[in-house]
Amino acid sequence: MIGCRRGGVLAVAAALVSLQVAAAAVAGAPATSARVPLPFTLDSYPSTYRPLPRVDSLIVGAVVLDGAGNRLERANILMVGGKIAAIGPDVAAPVNAVVIDAHGRWVTPGIIDIHSHDGDFPAPFTSNELVHSDVSEVTDPNTANVWAEHSVTVQDPSFSRALAAGVTTLQVLPGSSNLFGGRSVVLKPVPATTVQAMKFPDAPYGLKMACGENPKHNYGDAGRFPSSRMGNIAGYREAFLKAQDYLAKWQAYEKGDAKEAPTRDLKLDTLAGVLTGDIRVHIHCYRADEMAQLLDLAREFGFHVTAFHHAVEAYKIADQLAREHVCSVVWSDWWGYKMEAFDAIRENAAFVDAAGGCVTMHSDSPFLGQRLVLEAAKSMAAGQRAGLDIKPERAIRWVTSNPAEALGLGARIGSLAVGKNADVVIWSGDPFSVYTLAEKVFVDGALAYDRNDAKRQPRADFEVGQPGAEPTP
Amino acid sequence: MSIGQTDRTIFALVATLASILAAAACRADAILIINAKLHTVIDPQPIEQASVLIVDGRIREVGGRIAAPAGAQLIDAAGHDVTPGFMNAATQLGLVEVSSVADSSDTKVNPGALGAAFDVTYALNQNSTLVARARADGLTRAVSLPGSWGDFATAGASAPFSGSGVVLKLVDGAGWIDRRHAAMVVVVGGFAASQVGGSRSAEWILLRNALDEAKKYRPSRGAGEPRDQLLNRLDIEALQPVVAGTMPLAIAAMRESDIRQAVAVGTDYNIPVIVIGGAEAWRVAGLLAERKVPVVLNPFDNLPWTFDDIGARADNAAILARAGVTIAFSVPGIHLSHDAGEVIREAAGVAVANGLPWADALRALTLNPARIWGIDDHYGRIAPGMDADLVIWDGDPLEPTSAPTAVFVAGRAVSLTTRQSLLRDRYSPLHKSEPWPPGYR
Repeated sequence: MIGCRRGGVLAVAAALVSLQVAAAAVAGAPATSARVPLPFTLDSYPSTYRPLPRVDSLIVGAVVLDGAGNRLERANILMVGGKIAAIGPDVAAPVNAVVIDAHGRWVTPGIIDIHSHDGDFPAPFTSNELVHSDVSEVTDPNTANVWAEHSVTVQDPSFSRALAAGVTTLQVLPGSSNLFGGRSVVLKPVPATTVQAMKFPDAPYGLKMACGENPKHNYGDAGRFPSSRMGNIAGYREAFLKAQDYLAKWQAYEKGDAKEAPTRDLKLDTLAGVLTGDIRVHIHCYRADEMAQLLDLAREFGFHVTAFHHAVEAYKIADQLAREHVCSVVWSDWWGYKMEAFDAIRENAAFVDAAGGCVTMHSDSPFLGQRLVLEAAKSMAAGQRAGLDIKPERAIRWVTSNPAEALGLGARIGSLAVGKNADVVIWSGDPFSVYTLAEKVFVDGALAYDRNDAKRQPRADFEVGQPGAEPTP
Repeated sequence: MSIGQTDRTIFALVATLASILAAAACRADAILIINAKLHTVIDPQPIEQASVLIVDGRIREVGGRIAAPAGAQLIDAAGHDVTPGFMNAATQLGLVEVSSVADSSDTKVNPGALGAAFDVTYALNQNSTLVARARADGLTRAVSLPGSWGDFATAGASAPFSGSGVVLKLVDGAGWIDRRHAAMVVVVGGFAASQVGGSRSAEWILLRNALDEAKKYRPSRGAGEPRDQLLNRLDIEALQPVVAGTMPLAIAAMRESDIRQAVAVGTDYNIPVIVIGGAEAWRVAGLLAERKVPVVLNPFDNLPWTFDDIGARADNAAILARAGVTIAFSVPGIHLSHDAGEVIREAAGVAVANGLPWADALRALTLNPARIWGIDDHYGRIAPGMDADLVIWDGDPLEPTSAPTAVFVAGRAVSLTTRQSLLRDRYSPLHKSEPWPPGYR
């Protein structure tokens, strides 16, 4: 249903483009007056990411959870040119490929953390950041104009910890202080001196929104709007009404109905991008009743909610979320630190999965971000105790293919299918065990982390020359 | 309304009768657990096919084959792991319900008259839903401390003191305070210092001065105290057991320099000190072992999250244990009290993944915290005479995917039902076809 509506918007956009082309052809207009694409669809800060040095490699003899729901007992995985070239029991190494013996080891796709603040809430956290950290622009309930990537400290040691834990893709989001927190960015946790060099090439943008306690307290406590949940909803509606108007003006301009291009507005750029389906919507929302309100909001303005993050009450409306193709981005067990998190249950992920919905684990923390498979493991175990039949080959999807789909990157990452990016983790054993560690982590086929080779263990600049962090004397 | 003489007599008779009945019931209340893979904590290896006899709330006998006393309840562990109930070495259980809701939280006192004299005991709420949650996760003992520690520590009510904490016995009934005044909490570090003159030095000077004043205190002198004394009568009296060496000083410190200062205070005043946090404790492992200063640490801490833990590393626990330091676990943050049972098992497992021997991890969940917090005469291992805190697990107890199938606190089986398990049952997909809303379930 929502997919159709979104398709409709995209179809309208496509039709507009062809109209423009036709109009330009008929009028024989010079190139200088050719219509530019809608400005909010352009990425002015494009990725400069280049894969790390790599060699073609064959991983041999591993137990594989492929991220697509399959478990292979003794499989080989061939990585050529940074892509998965072949997977199966009999895949042989080409002459130039390095062979990696993984008997007794387990292999999964690279882990995806769909909710991280690595870089925009960087370590070390200092007392200078107590009020004004880089994670939230706390000066207005609508900061749809800010982009998380402009806050990212690339020298955050959290990135290297994530990589060492098997994470190969992160969505870094603005914080949840505002109704509209700003745009997210999808990064690879590889060492880099610029954020552009970490950006996942051509990944769709996301918009972080927040419902519930955070925006209403952040502004209400200061005597500002909004101070209530109804205020929150009014705030979204007012903003989207303006965005509809803004989009209509741009479309009129593109069609040639208006001579003057509308004045650019960075907030409305982002919200219009949501309305056209170019920007995916990620909403911090705990309670079932509020999620249902946000789904009505999305219907009212014709956009699709990609995911509710921290959705601790997703289990209460699991059927509706499944029906409307909205992902639930959840922890295994966080609860009780605020009122809206009081009804969290450990079976949340499993119940959403059982209803046929998309579920994804997330961290929101550089510490938990190092244990995302354990998060899936705990949720799976809770589900099994509640009588559901969930196996690791299914639960691994909660940290691989499901978040890949939610990020709009399902065709490129999230499973070990032939042709996908060779983001691969070799684990010391069953990754659903607490005793297991990531041994080798490949990003686009390059060995970006190796637990057994100190030269393949990146460290942030901040950690260099710190006596406190020296190796054991 | 007063109770009449006759009523009082009847009341006394009934009370006596009830206590006799209770005692009789208790004596008959013997439990024999058989076929356990028993982790006694003191034996180097688990004992297969072991039995444990519980009588009157205590462990009576441990062995291979034990004859069941008449009327004893027999429980077959079916070869599963059986451990002591676990102990979280620093929580705020009983002091907090919803962390962000001030009126549901009694974890600390605002700056004012109370400092060292602040005592959490009066606020303890055994009906907290967090307690049942922790118990169902195999936690049977917990230390509950005042204040705010961890990375964003704040100084105590009357800096540097946060007040005294308790050891809780997570029974499902009366008598859950295992040990009152278990420790005096002091919080130091970069974030806490901002409330104490802006420097760590101020924290340590104030602490040493307080101990000096406490040592000089003579109750008989009363109003004749020196005029320039910083501490008030309440605080100075509260510090008497500290300077007498009967109540340890629990110092929350992360950085090496602060840990060294904590050790020095213990040495200079000849008093027991416990380090809480201890992110950089691995750098002074030898010193801590030599001075017998234990460390309550967070095995997840492996990031330079603040300038206080630049040296945080995943093998902190392993290095300390290898050096002979007594370690136990606590995880500050979201899971400090919520999931206080689950989180330390996972944390112990992570410590094992990073080099801590499994047996040392088990000790850090049981006997070590018992020793650190002074209850090892009745809790911490499976041996005759100990309180019968036992858990039967459905898998490796350090795997977060495992869970208890039975939990005994002081010899009594406790309910594994929690508010969360009831919500789970309300919304289970297995109820999907029921026409009435979950609110009726």
